[in-house]
Amino acid sequence: MSFNIEEGRYIILGSIDGLLATLGIIVGVSVVSATNSIIVSAAFGGAIALALTNGLGSYLAESTIEYGKLAITERSLLRKLNNTYVESQSRRKIVKDAVSSGGASFLGSLIPLAPWILSVGSVAASVALSLFSLVALGVYSAYISRQSYAISVIKMVGLGMLIVIAVQLLRIGHLVQ
Amino acid sequence: MSQIKRLVLDVLKPHEPTNVEVASAIGDIRNVDGVNLSLYEVDQQTENVKITVEGTDVNYDLVLQTIENLGGVVHSVDEIIAGKKIVEEEETLHDRG
Repeated sequence: MSFNIEEGRYIILGSIDGLLATLGIIVGVSVVSATNSIIVSAAFGGAIALALTNGLGSYLAESTIEYGKLAITERSLLRKLNNTYVESQSRRKIVKDAVSSGGASFLGSLIPLAPWILSVGSVAASVALSLFSLVALGVYSAYISRQSYAISVIKMVGLGMLIVIAVQLLRIGHLVQ
Repeated sequence: MSQIKRLVLDVLKPHEPTNVEVASAIGDIRNVDGVNLSLYEVDQQTENVKITVEGTDVNYDLVLQTIENLGGVVHSVDEIIAGKKIVEEEETLHDRG
């Protein structure tokens, strides 16, 4: 399968989703238990669920959009495009986008989870790895969009920091109770 | 039945697949020696192209099937040359008129 610029959308979306949602689970669960196995179970379960929902969601959304576009083209051509090369290319794109989205989400989830899987887990390590990954995503995003690398990285890392802070505030709120 | 040497078709097609892909696909058909595809009109969804196909024994059904599989519609067959040799259209007084 070849890569094109459109697939960057789902790779970025899926990665951020998996990365930050799993980080949120890790930070949240660590409030009540720092046991490795519990954190790995919770976060891994979340990772699988995220991958499946992102993949399925992308499949359904892309199916709607692609078949909608085909319908518009059919109206202009005054013919159906069923069982043509054109329809097969649309189906291929739908599957590729779904796999990109679900796959990127799962891989993104593994990043904050990696220290815990390797039994060297700590919240700080998960946050550090996640922020480093966000820097990489920022660079990738800038490469695709031909925008400033600095601004793109700042946006990505800033978003990540916001979410980490929000989850930490919930954590602190729980401890205060 | 005599062999078709040249076909000129007026085709309406979507933007994807590209004209390069369409011309290549027709060029791959058995007994097709050459394809000329020229674009003469574009709108938001579709393109009008003139496709000239030449060969030793061009199979019109195969050409039609290929174009339709790629999402195109043949609006008209503007020229056909069939037989043992290529015969060009002759200009008459009426055409010069």
